[in-house]
Amino acid sequence: MQVISPWDAAKSMTEAPDTPAETEFSGRRGRLFWLALKLGFLTVLTLGMYRFWMKTRLRRWYWSAFRPMGHPLEYVGDPWEKLLGFLIAVVFLAFYIGVVNLLLMFASFSLFNGNVAAYVLSFIGVIPLWFYASYRARRYVLARTRWRGIRFGLAPGAWGYAGRALWHWFLAIVTLGILWPRKAFYLEKYITDRTYFGAEAMEQGGKWTGLLRPWLGVWLPLIAAIVCTAAVIYFETNAISSIPQLDGPLTPGALENDMVHRAEASLFQMLPALVVIYLIWQPLALINYNVKRLRYLTSNKHLAGAQLSLAPRFWRVTGIYFWGYTLASLVAMILLVPIAIVAIATAVGLGAEIGLELGAMGHLSQVAMTAIAIGSYFLLFLMWSVLMHAFIRFPLMRHYAESFQIANPTVLNAITQRPRDEFGEAEGFAEALDVGAAI
Amino acid sequence: MSDTMTIHVGPRPAALGALGTYFDGETAEAQPARLRIEEGQQVLVIEVRGQQKVWPLTDIRRVPDQADREQLVLALAGDPVVRLVTDEHRLAQRCPNLSRRNSHVKRGRVLGWAMAALASVALIVFVLVPRMADQLAEYIPPEGEKALGETTLSQIRTAMNQANLEPLPFCENAEGVAALKAMETRLSDAANLPVPLSVHVLDHPMVNAFALPGGHIVFFKGLIDTAETPEELGAVFAHEMGHVVSRDPTRHALRSAGSIGVLGLLFGDFAGGAVVLFLTERLIEAQYSQAAEANADTFAMATLENAEVRPGALGDMFQKFLDKYGDAEGTSAHFLSHPKLGDRIANSSARQAEVTATGFTDTPLLTDQQWTALKGICR
Repeated sequence: MQVISPWDAAKSMTEAPDTPAETEFSGRRGRLFWLALKLGFLTVLTLGMYRFWMKTRLRRWYWSAFRPMGHPLEYVGDPWEKLLGFLIAVVFLAFYIGVVNLLLMFASFSLFNGNVAAYVLSFIGVIPLWFYASYRARRYVLARTRWRGIRFGLAPGAWGYAGRALWHWFLAIVTLGILWPRKAFYLEKYITDRTYFGAEAMEQGGKWTGLLRPWLGVWLPLIAAIVCTAAVIYFETNAISSIPQLDGPLTPGALENDMVHRAEASLFQMLPALVVIYLIWQPLALINYNVKRLRYLTSNKHLAGAQLSLAPRFWRVTGIYFWGYTLASLVAMILLVPIAIVAIATAVGLGAEIGLELGAMGHLSQVAMTAIAIGSYFLLFLMWSVLMHAFIRFPLMRHYAESFQIANPTVLNAITQRPRDEFGEAEGFAEALDVGAAI
Repeated sequence: MSDTMTIHVGPRPAALGALGTYFDGETAEAQPARLRIEEGQQVLVIEVRGQQKVWPLTDIRRVPDQADREQLVLALAGDPVVRLVTDEHRLAQRCPNLSRRNSHVKRGRVLGWAMAALASVALIVFVLVPRMADQLAEYIPPEGEKALGETTLSQIRTAMNQANLEPLPFCENAEGVAALKAMETRLSDAANLPVPLSVHVLDHPMVNAFALPGGHIVFFKGLIDTAETPEELGAVFAHEMGHVVSRDPTRHALRSAGSIGVLGLLFGDFAGGAVVLFLTERLIEAQYSQAAEANADTFAMATLENAEVRPGALGDMFQKFLDKYGDAEGTSAHFLSHPKLGDRIANSSARQAEVTATGFTDTPLLTDQQWTALKGICR
């Protein structure tokens, strides 16, 4: 019997080009829970200063858990550069809030005798900045992500992205949302086509109409709901008060009229049921759209002849959201109890001047109660974010990893390194503007 | 080097060679690697495709926060891209500096830039914005100024009554309002004001009064309660008129007009609310310069004299503040936050002595009945 050492096995290992490479997911929920709890606690203690460190460490953890072809991703972002980026953004925003808004306010009060114009202009001014920030944040994260020792990257183009985003949003709004998936597709394509793994550019294939079908599941009920609401408001104001009583002689016209009114009345009877059905349907349709969108967009991405694919399942994702949010809400409600008690006690105490009657004892317990309420308030935020990590992001990522495949992976071996993207401001604007980054 | 050579890994020689995967950072290829420790030189030798990479044990760093604890992901200090992945944990015990920080970021440089950033913010907030506001205040048309005052007043009323979600109520007892109007007429006739006034009383115990752009003057109930004579209240009235004439409030409100609300928009949550509250309080506190306060005092005393009211009443009112709170900071009346309150009282009594010497006679500002009505304006 011949013993083959791992060394020989590794040397003689040939990867079959036709079988798609699977993705492993390592890392345990419990560890993530304690890590997120510890880092979140430090963030609360430092009044938020630690969040740059928290973000960095959590990303390192998540990235290293995701292992396409058995090789972990690596996140090499640095908390200090995040802090600096945030401060740079704060300087810019201080200028915007202080100087630009001062000029806007002056112009607004001088020309229109009010501040509405200034608020509107100021808000409109922030919108392109918001898109700009989200592209820059993506660029930073990709520039600090590595796989198999090779850097990812995103080519510059944040203003181009902001311009396109504005245009696609505009189209989506004026078409009452039917072009929403078109916006999603073209913005994703803009980003993907500028994404690099090493020297090799990624490519987004497919057509935007590929997202249309799942979107119709969201859009049609939405339009129906709007039409229904409009109809109800119309009937409420006009028809319902004038349902005729059938006292007079039955003419065919009167009968028809009566039937129309009865139909209206039955619509009103059905209304609660319709509302309930809609409220259950709409979140499910949204999840379905997001799952299908992720699947379609990922499965149409190419990298140097390798093809990506992802097949998240609707019911699985729904289950993760359902149980995750149920658990988080339960914990949140438990934590809300002391806050509510203190709020009620304070309200009652103020009303009846109980604090005065109880004297010093009452005062002391009031202080203690307030301290408990404030503690619970912070604990609420902390626990919510920790539970989101452990019961939403973790299972979702694990589920995505299960079905993430790379077809024809051997071509990736030849991919060469790209130079470092210095990127001084990190994701400062995204941080300052609170552009919703996942982690 | 042959395959049969003994490989030393860990505290004692391992029976079989440790294996790993080496990423050279030049291509994406995962290269199978064979590892051994060269005890003499204290280096890790990584054998890849017949080549040898030599890593000094002191320069080996661990990539932190790995989700998978079965594996070690190692980096070489000074080299940003090469990585070695192995499940041979005994290797970790041989590397003394494994947990040392391994980052491209120079912390000293970052701190330097951070200081520069904070300095820029301070420059914008404390120099650029006030200067611009002072300049722009000269050019704002009267209607705009009035609108600015109204907006600021409603922001203050909302912010001061956050608990009830409704703006702080005005005191509008008809007889009290009439008495206040009488006082206003008597004083403004003597003052030659550039804009018509709009005077309000807010139902709040704070002992304070303030002026807003466009001729708004606002008293708090607490101030009316504290004043013992109509002349004392009238002195404060005249002082606020001085601010209206000098347009101090316009400059002041413009400074924060851009920030209030927009800050709330940006931060949204309770932090934004706190910032807005803070800015509102600064508006009420109205920390004008000492020169601006002195000018308003001078204006007030001149106005009082013209209206045949004792200029010493201003000093009497200040003396009330002093008796009530002491000449300390941290109380809620803006007259108090000026350290030179004693000097201002002295100024007022000096002026009173002067005019008394020249045979000044005063006429009561309000009748007793009017004064009682004004005291009850919040009923």
